[in-house]
Amino acid sequence: MDLTTVLSAMQTVVAQPEAAGISSAAVIKAGALIGAGICMGFGAIGPGVGEGFAAGKACEAIGRNPQEAGLLTRTMLIGQAVSESTGIYSLVVALLMLFVVGK
Amino acid sequence: MEFLDAHTWELVGRYLGAGLALGLGGIGAAVGMGLSAGKANEAIIRQPSEQGTLLRTMLIGQAVGGSPSIFALVIGLLILFKPAGGDVVGATFAAVTIGAGISIGLGCFGSGLGCGWPGGAACEGVARNPRQSTSITSSMIIGQAVAQSPSIFATVIALIFLFRAPSVTGLAAFGVCLGAGIAMGAGALGPGIGSGTAAGGAVHGSSRWPQSSGSTLRTMLIAQAVSQTPAIFGMLVAFIMLFALPDLDLGIEGFARTLGAGIAAGFGGIGPGIGSGTAGDYACRVTAARPRIDALTLRTMLIGQAVSQSTAIYALIIALLLLFVV
Repeated sequence: MDLTTVLSAMQTVVAQPEAAGISSAAVIKAGALIGAGICMGFGAIGPGVGEGFAAGKACEAIGRNPQEAGLLTRTMLIGQAVSESTGIYSLVVALLMLFVVGK
Repeated sequence: MEFLDAHTWELVGRYLGAGLALGLGGIGAAVGMGLSAGKANEAIIRQPSEQGTLLRTMLIGQAVGGSPSIFALVIGLLILFKPAGGDVVGATFAAVTIGAGISIGLGCFGSGLGCGWPGGAACEGVARNPRQSTSITSSMIIGQAVAQSPSIFATVIALIFLFRAPSVTGLAAFGVCLGAGIAMGAGALGPGIGSGTAAGGAVHGSSRWPQSSGSTLRTMLIAQAVSQTPAIFGMLVAFIMLFALPDLDLGIEGFARTLGAGIAAGFGGIGPGIGSGTAGDYACRVTAARPRIDALTLRTMLIGQAVSQSTAIYALIIALLLLFVV
């Protein structure tokens, strides 16, 4: 079994899914399902890191000035809510791919 | 699946799996040990008279921090030399070995890297305060031990892969193995790094303010526990795929559902794991410096970490929807 045969078999699957026994509707649905996973998985990285950083700096600031803990917690939560927005965009797009495109 | 014979599939799986296990699994430990060594050099320049103690601290930190790469080595050798047998042959064997390689490789990356921060902070701390070297070393070892638990989860999942046949066949078996491998491996990556940074902050704090090291260690352990939730989500999704999979299309749709669920649960845990660790790092330093407000600091840290975990929960929901609903 050489590499050329393997590559031509893969090419058949990619170029003519029907010939390999897979309908194109199934390929489209599969793309939407994997896409939903990639969208939410990678989309969750940024908000997680950013919100954690905001929480760390809030702890540092409270250590300097504990009297302002209420104000600092409120500011932290507002900043985190803004940072959360891209995670929510990812969630919305992933749900669209699962229930609208992938149906 | 038919365009390669069974023996070729087996070799492809062994070589790719072992390569992923050792290639990815070695990166974290190597960088982490380098972080410790760099800090040890700085510390020896500052305190040449304590070079014996500093060298010992560095070596203990590197030895503990190197164990994830040894887990990866053991699993890599098992992947290469474990005899194929039973009903796991051909393409399924390749899927199983590649999945085990991804799980252990990515899982050991995070913990190995994370162990570098407490190692480096301990060398700095011993140079600053040589008489406290025993207590600094023990808080370093506690922090590193907890930071290693994600890599132990990944080792368990890799062993399950190697010794238990997946419940599905065909293209879906590839989806299950790749998906469960990514869910566990990538899910352990962030928590490994995050638990390490939290431990680094605690070792730094307890070496500068030894009198408050009890409350610092408590804050560190809570921060590490929260930071490891995404690894537990990843392990949960991997367990569902390996043991409790619902009736699944065995063709491309089953492949897409399991692979997509694995990517969502795994990569979705990286950010929350690292972020919760950063919050823990700062909270440990503040608790050490100002033990009288430790409850307030702990509360702020927990609120911040809870918000930071929300995206991991969205990712878990998408993974469960992919497996059970769509």
